[in-house]
Amino acid sequence: MRRLLIILLCLLSPALLAHEGMSVDMPKGPELGASAAFDSHGRLYLVDAADDHVRLRHSDDDGRTLSVPVEVNAIAEPIYAEGENRPKIAFGPHDELYVSWSQPRAKPWTGFVRFARSLDRGEHFSKPLTVHHDHAEITHRFDALAVDGNGRIVIAWIDKRDLIAATAQSKPYLGAAVYYSWSDDGGASFVPERKLVDQSCECCRIALARLPDGRIATFFRNIYGDNIRDHAYAVLRTDGQASQLERATFSDWQIAGCPHHGPGLAIGSDGVRHAVWYEAKGKPTIWYGQLDLGHAPQHPLAIATAGASHADIAVHKRTLWVVWNQVDAHGNALMLRRSNDNGAHFDAPHEIARNNGAVGSPQLLQKQGRAFVAWNTAAGFRLIEMPR
Amino acid sequence: MKRLLLALVLLLPTVAMAGSLKPLTAAEVPALLQPPAHGERIIALWALDCAYCEPNLEALAALQRAHPHEIELLTVTTDSAGQHEAIEARLRSMQMTGYPAYAYAEASPEQINFLLDSSWGGETPRVLVIRADGSRVGISGALTPAQLQKLR
Repeated sequence: MRRLLIILLCLLSPALLAHEGMSVDMPKGPELGASAAFDSHGRLYLVDAADDHVRLRHSDDDGRTLSVPVEVNAIAEPIYAEGENRPKIAFGPHDELYVSWSQPRAKPWTGFVRFARSLDRGEHFSKPLTVHHDHAEITHRFDALAVDGNGRIVIAWIDKRDLIAATAQSKPYLGAAVYYSWSDDGGASFVPERKLVDQSCECCRIALARLPDGRIATFFRNIYGDNIRDHAYAVLRTDGQASQLERATFSDWQIAGCPHHGPGLAIGSDGVRHAVWYEAKGKPTIWYGQLDLGHAPQHPLAIATAGASHADIAVHKRTLWVVWNQVDAHGNALMLRRSNDNGAHFDAPHEIARNNGAVGSPQLLQKQGRAFVAWNTAAGFRLIEMPR
Repeated sequence: MKRLLLALVLLLPTVAMAGSLKPLTAAEVPALLQPPAHGERIIALWALDCAYCEPNLEALAALQRAHPHEIELLTVTTDSAGQHEAIEARLRSMQMTGYPAYAYAEASPEQINFLLDSSWGGETPRVLVIRADGSRVGISGALTPAQLQKLR
């Protein structure tokens, strides 16, 4: 008996040690999903998540120093803040500060889209509300947030209610739906959500951008036919009319899986829809193109290939910036390509920063014609001005 | 004594499972990529946040059971080994605990993606097949029956 006990103890101890060692090796600290924006005074605001709170910090010196954080949600709740899921921030016409995030629920892949606002430049926040009126414990996540030219707050997200209904009836359904809602009262409440499309990609961020007429357009990874994961474009109508969806990329990448690579969209004052997207039909590639709805994009250019991920794009007059993360065996480089002729040509890729630890997705920001990239890294948040 | 013994016996399967999930660091990637002595090594990459991964792992496990001497199957989740409790629970619910299992243990997951397979953008599921002759094949997405048959 004693011998058996000794054998069992010997078996247990390495297992326990392995377990213990694993937790010691793990990276610690907040996840890197973050968003930043400038208000009309040029103050930078940053949201990320730590200890079950979305936290807001600001900077009056372009990111060199950050304020003490303010908790957006006073009561702790789980928050998605990694990969394509990250808290979002946007401003109303009078610097009203709007924040959205996705809250994981108990079951895998579930979530609620949450929203809170501050009317005093981020000193105090409203009690968070759940944006969608459907409160089933299912997927409502990957929120995207924008404010239109009339000050309406528009939020779009990925929603699985129709997948679940179809599955219950043994009907085939690929991916998930995209739903959206908006607020006409500055974020006090949101109208009942509308479905934009059925059977779209279930794990890629949704891009939103403002048109010259002030309306909000969306560009996201959709599903065509048998798991062809190309992108669709639509103007999100808030006037009761149905939004018209059009196919906007024709890469024909077929994958029954999770790309985890959402696109980027920037619309010029001339109305040109500048887009970046990822596909891996052949080698993994980030593309640039100008959307020509119903047709392949104009001026397509392979911006970067193997190791490139999570591109963002911005436009000011005829200048375009595309940034992305480029990984190699040593770490992550933040890369830039610029066009000075509205996307007809881009300069060669060049590295503007490097970090050998974990990095979040880069985000382009603008302030009075100057462009910056917000890059949250394990070594800290960085705001890098684009070379002029 | 008997009671202690019983407690230890009951504890053993859960702890043994916990211990069997191994952290995967950049330094350990080359060993995983070494060609096997014979047959194929199949590295099944999956993620907690990937609904397509579960049926894919099940299909690969069935393939391995059909060719137990030729196929060496191991699973690697791209989630941080810091989430070992959730990963182990999912491995148990998918009945995948019989295979060597790894979880990413590097600050930058993209770096392990790149080291495992530089032509992979991180989409899941991903299958990496390494043959005894040193050749490699990477396939993204849930495998079709035709793709599964071609794996060996």
